[in-house]
Amino acid sequence: MTRGLYRRLAAGNIRKNGKLYLPYVLTCIFTVAMYYMVCSLSQNPGLEKMQGAQTLIYLLRLGSVIIGLFSLVFLFYTNSFLMKRRKEELGLFYVLGMEKRHLFRVLGFETLYVGSISLMAGLILGVLLDKLLYLCIVRMLGGGITLGFFLSGEVVKNTAALFCGIFFLIYLSGLWELGRSGGLELLQARHAGEREPRSKWLMALLGLLCLAGGYYLALTMENPVASLALFFPAVLLVLAGTYLLFTAGSVLLLKMLRRNRKFYYHPRHFTGISGMLYRMKRNGVGLANICMLSTVVLIMISSTSTLMLGLEGMLKSRYPQDFMFTFRETHGEQGEAWIEEIRHFCTERGCIPREEMQYKSLVFVALQEGDTFRVEQAEDILTSVNIQELFCVTLEDYNRLMGEERVLEEQEILVYSNRETFDAPVLRILDREYRVAGHLEDFFKNNQTASELASTQFLVLPDFQELERLYQGQKAVYQEAASEIRTFYGFDLEAGEKEQAVLWEALSEELRQKGFPGKMENLSAERPGFLGVYGGFFFIGIFLGVLFGVAMVLIIYYKQITEGYEDQERFVVMQRVGMSWEEVRRSIHSQVLMVFFLPLLVAGLHVAAAFPLISKLLLLFNLPDVGLHVRCTLITFLVFAGLYVGVYGLTARAYYQIVRRPADR
Amino acid sequence: MAILEAQGLKKIYTTRFGGNQVQALREVSFSVEAGEYVAIMGESGSGKTTLLNILAALDKPTSGQVLLEGKNVTRIPEKHLAAFRREKLGFVFQDFHLLDTFTLEDNIFLPLVLGGKDYREMSGRLKPLAEKLGISALLKKYPYEVSGGQKQRAAVARALITRPRLVLADEPTGALDSRATDSLLGLFARINQEGQTILMVTHSVKAASHAGRVLFIRDGQVFHQLYRGQETNEQLYQRISHTLTLLTTGGERHD
Repeated sequence: MTRGLYRRLAAGNIRKNGKLYLPYVLTCIFTVAMYYMVCSLSQNPGLEKMQGAQTLIYLLRLGSVIIGLFSLVFLFYTNSFLMKRRKEELGLFYVLGMEKRHLFRVLGFETLYVGSISLMAGLILGVLLDKLLYLCIVRMLGGGITLGFFLSGEVVKNTAALFCGIFFLIYLSGLWELGRSGGLELLQARHAGEREPRSKWLMALLGLLCLAGGYYLALTMENPVASLALFFPAVLLVLAGTYLLFTAGSVLLLKMLRRNRKFYYHPRHFTGISGMLYRMKRNGVGLANICMLSTVVLIMISSTSTLMLGLEGMLKSRYPQDFMFTFRETHGEQGEAWIEEIRHFCTERGCIPREEMQYKSLVFVALQEGDTFRVEQAEDILTSVNIQELFCVTLEDYNRLMGEERVLEEQEILVYSNRETFDAPVLRILDREYRVAGHLEDFFKNNQTASELASTQFLVLPDFQELERLYQGQKAVYQEAASEIRTFYGFDLEAGEKEQAVLWEALSEELRQKGFPGKMENLSAERPGFLGVYGGFFFIGIFLGVLFGVAMVLIIYYKQITEGYEDQERFVVMQRVGMSWEEVRRSIHSQVLMVFFLPLLVAGLHVAAAFPLISKLLLLFNLPDVGLHVRCTLITFLVFAGLYVGVYGLTARAYYQIVRRPADR
Repeated sequence: MAILEAQGLKKIYTTRFGGNQVQALREVSFSVEAGEYVAIMGESGSGKTTLLNILAALDKPTSGQVLLEGKNVTRIPEKHLAAFRREKLGFVFQDFHLLDTFTLEDNIFLPLVLGGKDYREMSGRLKPLAEKLGISALLKKYPYEVSGGQKQRAAVARALITRPRLVLADEPTGALDSRATDSLLGLFARINQEGQTILMVTHSVKAASHAGRVLFIRDGQVFHQLYRGQETNEQLYQRISHTLTLLTTGGERHD
């Protein structure tokens, strides 16, 4: 009987406080949906077909963990607005004779109702939005996406478990707050300002340290493949640092401003600063939320759009020629025979190979230590920071392709470096010691550089015997993992895409049947594959970017609306006391301005700190074009800032209308 | 010299639907001399809040005018109104209208800050005022931390700190217990003796009995007025009660 009473009371409370509960429930629903969508993306089986799948899956799982944490902070944050208002009513029940344990029960039912509604609606919304966004983006990118729509019971279960946990924690914190305050305190809760965090200096210092640590990790990460394990700590540090700094730092800053009487007692700052101090904790957390979401959106969109826009350039450097053949040089004279065969095949069909290139090369990796390149079998060789790719060709091939007439003595070499220059006078490798006769300014185009992450040294050796010697030397060490001397033959064709495709089809079929011992590559034939992979990333970037962007807009809106309702009475009083609408408008403007542009600024800082790291990650996808990345990041930032200003304008207006309304009565 | 003159004030509200007209003020004329302490009495619905809002330039009359020191308040353009209210008038409200976000001190400073005064001048003005009102020790506290009476004293300080020509008080004792009421009314009497002109709207006989003159308003008209003369508060209290009884019964006879 009484149990029914509390249940009814809880339901009634939610209905009565609809204006308060509705935004809260909507926020909960959206958070659940967001978490579901990211989790479901990270479990999508289509991911495994993508290049760099492991890295990507790792990053997405990491992303889900971070969103989980974010949901916790965010829901606590929105709930604090609600609790502040609700305490008054619960306090009234208390004064009217309900015991604390009865209040706990009422609160429990309220949490239960809100939680189950949010969870259910959130999951449904998540599944629907997932599908919808997927369809939108597939249409936008025109197919070729390897990711399909995906619904998993596992993800639903995880999401439900996480949010049950979060709602339970929120309930516990509600109990804690109710438990420790007396009836009068509850009744006055709505008017009381937030107390400042006790150890704010410590918090600010800790935040600064976390941020510095995170930045340090991000900026010093040499090899993103090797340091993927450090990626998570770096992100966590920046996350923690941002929250600590925004909460403690904003309180410190505001108090400092308040102490500056000339600044504080100014019509434009007076109300704003006091208002922000009044709700300083929520203010700090709210700003940190906005800042983190902005950062994520910026990084997602800028990096994946760099990937998409860099695709053509990457293809050009990866496939410098229309048709390319690389094969093992073990058949001696037979190499020439293959080339003749290909050339014949093309001319017979009326296509004359142009810009023909042909050279022999040996490519293998070594660890650089000063002027010595060590060739040894080590576990960590691929993830080592000092790893260098060695691309060896003969002087004969070099001179022919570059149209030069250089001369090398015995034991002399020429060096060209694509990234890290080699400037020692002598180069030692295996048991050989070469004198560096010169550094080259340029090297003939080849498909080797662009497709590798590591920095490469191009060595021009005096003759084929030297090439053979290095080949034997590294073969003895690497054994079955050793590289072969390969012959490259490539050319362009003066033919349209279609003709090329037809010719390529026939030629590759013919060669395959004859047992061609190597790789055949054609730009047009490879493009769709790359488009699929890169498009997949672009899809994920846009998907998450839009998702987080919407979340950010909602947070900003929520913050302004709830604060607007809180400030309503305040502005009525101020008008009575003698504040004109123009002054009200200006004071709102200054307040919102202070609040809004700090997160954007810090987000910009985060993006800048993450930039080198992201650049290195992009190298994994054959994108060494830092200039493009800079441009994409800048443009993304500018567009984002523009949208941000738009949202700011809209919410400032909404806020303005809320505080204005009662004055018009 | 009359500091405030209300001449033929008339206010008609039109309800939003159906266009029913409600006459809140029919024809109100009176004047307040400098240094006077005037109470306006009337039951709820008699139009006294409407009158106060018009006097405070928060609302515009349908016809008639309000002269403050000879200047027509109803003609002041919107953008100068706030500054006018801030500089010439002080307000005390029934529910205090202190801001939760400010300490009492900052609440009191509010009109001066809006007027662009610097801190030294503000604190120079506050110090003697706070002492007079007995709130010096409370200045750093927040409104939710002090009692109703203390809140109302802070609100009085806020009204007085601009050194207004006229203090308008709207049921200032309405939310106070009897002890706080006595203390506030004593305070009003004292600042009035120091020369402050006060116009108070109330339906409390006790509050009105502290005033120098009492205006009775009924059905949107000034019905009657009483002067204190040499009477004590108690004697005036008796006369006000008597008048109220007369007004009620007399009114019924006319209807």
